[in-house]
Amino acid sequence: MTRDDCRILSARFGRSDGHRLAVYEAEGGYTALRRALKEMTPLAVREEVKTAGLRGRGGAGFPTGVKWGFVPAEAQTVYFMVNADESEPGTFKDRWIMDYDPHAMIEGSIIASYAVRAGLCFIYIRGEFGWLVDRVQTAVDEAYRAGYLGRNILGSGFDLEMIVHKGAGAYICGEETGLINSIEGRKGQPSIKPPFPAVQGFLKQPTIVNNVETIAAVPPILREGAAAYRRFGTEKSPGTKLWSVSGPVRRPGVHEIPLGLPFREFFAQDLGGMADGEELKAVIVGGSSVPILTADEILACNLDYESLAAAGTMLGSGGMIVIPRRCDMVELIQVLMHFYWDESCGQCTPCREGTGWLHRIVRRLRAGEGTIADLDLLDKVCNGMMGLTICPLSDAAVMPMRSFLTKFRNEFAALARRPEESGPRSRWARTTNEVIG
Amino acid sequence: MVRLTIDEQVIEVADGTRLFDACTQVRGEALPHFCYHPDLSIAGVCRLCQVEIEGAPKLTIACNTVVKDGMVVRTGSPRVQAAVTSILEMHLINHPVDCPICDQAGECGLQDQYMVYGLYESDVAKRDKVHKRKAEPIGPYVILDQERCVLCSRCVRFCAEITKTGELGILQRGDRAEIAVAPGRVLDNAYSLNTVDICPVGALTSRDFRFQKRVWLLRSTPSVCPGCATGCNVRVDHEGGRVWRLRPRRNDEVNGPWMCDHGRMEYKHLHAADRLTQPLVRREGVLQPVEWREAWAELERLVRPGGVALALAGPHQTIEELLLFRRLGELLGGPEAVYGGVVGTDRGEGDALLIDGDRAPNRAALGWLGLREAPADELAARLGPGRMAVVYGGDPAALSPRLASALAGGEFIYLGTRRGATAEAAAVALPLSMWAEKDGLLANRQGRLQALRAAIARPGTAREDWRVLAEWLGRLGAPPPPTTLAALRREVAAALELPPGIDLNALPATGFVARSGADAPAAGGR
Repeated sequence: MTRDDCRILSARFGRSDGHRLAVYEAEGGYTALRRALKEMTPLAVREEVKTAGLRGRGGAGFPTGVKWGFVPAEAQTVYFMVNADESEPGTFKDRWIMDYDPHAMIEGSIIASYAVRAGLCFIYIRGEFGWLVDRVQTAVDEAYRAGYLGRNILGSGFDLEMIVHKGAGAYICGEETGLINSIEGRKGQPSIKPPFPAVQGFLKQPTIVNNVETIAAVPPILREGAAAYRRFGTEKSPGTKLWSVSGPVRRPGVHEIPLGLPFREFFAQDLGGMADGEELKAVIVGGSSVPILTADEILACNLDYESLAAAGTMLGSGGMIVIPRRCDMVELIQVLMHFYWDESCGQCTPCREGTGWLHRIVRRLRAGEGTIADLDLLDKVCNGMMGLTICPLSDAAVMPMRSFLTKFRNEFAALARRPEESGPRSRWARTTNEVIG
Repeated sequence: MVRLTIDEQVIEVADGTRLFDACTQVRGEALPHFCYHPDLSIAGVCRLCQVEIEGAPKLTIACNTVVKDGMVVRTGSPRVQAAVTSILEMHLINHPVDCPICDQAGECGLQDQYMVYGLYESDVAKRDKVHKRKAEPIGPYVILDQERCVLCSRCVRFCAEITKTGELGILQRGDRAEIAVAPGRVLDNAYSLNTVDICPVGALTSRDFRFQKRVWLLRSTPSVCPGCATGCNVRVDHEGGRVWRLRPRRNDEVNGPWMCDHGRMEYKHLHAADRLTQPLVRREGVLQPVEWREAWAELERLVRPGGVALALAGPHQTIEELLLFRRLGELLGGPEAVYGGVVGTDRGEGDALLIDGDRAPNRAALGWLGLREAPADELAARLGPGRMAVVYGGDPAALSPRLASALAGGEFIYLGTRRGATAEAAAVALPLSMWAEKDGLLANRQGRLQALRAAIARPGTAREDWRVLAEWLGRLGAPPPPTTLAALRREVAAALELPPGIDLNALPATGFVARSGADAPAAGGR
């Protein structure tokens, strides 16, 4: 099997005409929709996707077919939403789908809407992706004209309206309840769960939110069948995955490979290794929110959910940041901590206060004004942020912070002033005790 | 019913009970919290009420969890303790810790919870603190300190869910987030001071109470707001003979945990400059302060049993007082001379929440006691040269020019609390007590009996109303009037034909509905 055989999602990437309906149809587009609407019940579609083992590509990796099954059977009004708020640092795969192959996402969305019995579908596109809103809207218009959207689609009796919605540019709106609040016109911030969106989401009705890449994988699964999809990948990580690779490698960009491929092989073959004069130091494998792996760690890993979990990190969104030896890790974490501090919605206290505190401590260290005690303080602040909030943004800040600190502690320590240089810390309680006796 | 285990204790609670409340039941005190409020929606943002539920991988907030059969919950495990301590520290890192100048000090959630879950040394470098705006007036009664705010969103939810006026929101995100008044708005709904009550920290404080008193010096007396027919239950916070503020006292049958801003300002009348502080007797056309002994002598000289043309009470007096006054009025002028008030007075605009259009606290009881309100003209017609009247409470002369001139045309005794137009026109004015200076019962619009309680001393030589009325009855040689309030209340119970076993000296906490407020006059009625 060559790499080209795996190009399920990326077949039209890089082509100037791949986004056109005619091209998409000529290459088998919308046959999966035809099959779903004419030959399958919504339940059968859900089962097919479940059997294929497709897992959410937005970061959590939850089985898509199972998620669709959470919509209560008695639900009357169901909504489907495509999460195209791709904002995880290092992640830029969804935008390639929308740019080069918008109909794959649209066809997948129609099939998914049918599977969950939704009559209205939103595509929520990150505010900074202005040009993609136009591109996707043009494709949606084409789909309407071709009868793939609207009333009685392909004579099946299934109706679906599709709305392209442009966000205002907030990372947190990529969290599904934040996305729903944003579409409802509220402040984009996550809601407490329960209730979960599949039971009570948009306008308090059952709502399914799926990532762009997840949805783009649905037409190939229905076209070729679940078994064909499972030819790729591993038992627990079936199929292919897009990796958006940044950093000084020879061939950065978006690469599609079967899950389970050893990183070593991906790195050498697909990425072409490091650029001239660069040396691999570390890799953030699944978007900025996952724990970093050192060169040794990643070189021993396969690129699938279970191997990466075993290595103490996560596959996440597949936003791979390759870090060269010359990179200052404290500078890098400062950039990331600034990001999470900036993007925290501010609802939950541990995240609101913790992200800012982490950022300020790191900034102080880099300014040469930190002490060695600040390293322990960073660790302590992380402890107070992990697993205690409504959504995972707080954890997402902690995971890189903690792993950077653990694996590159010497770089942090080198920036700290030596303890004897630091002035006495304010210890009023102790002082008071001494005075009082 | 659901059976669950909390801190090794098995309890049974009703289906649908919040785990937060079940924990309170077992622990005897609430879990640490800022955002949870039983009368508002769940926000789940302070993250303090974390508990450990067996089988759940992560800690869970109790406020957004409903109890389930067989749940095993721990509220004080080391894991929970560590989480609560660190979350509390997160609340405090950007807090200014300006307790010495903060009015919330002494009743502050941050202080209280720090004493239980904190007591660590601060790890925050002063330069790491985020600074925000301080002392921003956001409405006629409320002032906002952004630095002290913990963004629990209670005030926002109050304005969205209770008053439904939506003045407040949270702008910005992350640690720049702040409570803000919507552009072009002010926090001027009729209930704005409730946001100060529910603010768990010193972010929202009362412009009226600010910098007046340290709260730990205050003593608190449970009572009832006299501002309208709703009868919101209140705490009268007082010190040094002055009332400094009123706060609502929860009564789910009447006001829940809220009260209106107008009611909160009722205390100001107690300390008005025009209080009647001594008996006054008109000598050579001028009212002169005298001893009670002299006032009684003058009164007995002027008023003879049977010689009174009008005995006018009002809907602000307590039930005990009205009962005695009715008896006095009948003795002095006969049943037809006794009136309950002037029709159409003490009315305002009401709303659907708490404020009643009837601004008198005890109008329901007038009907029960057969005390009729009459138009000013009808009352005026009873007056005239050579006629004697007794006016009890209120300021009827200020309400109607016709009544004012009629009162001035004759002679009358005034029993009241302030030197208004009526007092100034009286032959004798006896200084009595305002609502926070006496015990007494009021019947609200539901017909619910609730108790006023004396919180502060009366000014000057002013006396308790019922004792003055009882003394006058005694001087008239009437059947012996009751000598204690308890005995007087037994007479009230009899007059209202309350079922036996109702002890008006020990009302239930929520009061007692004697009869529907709309009921036609019955007991003692004519």
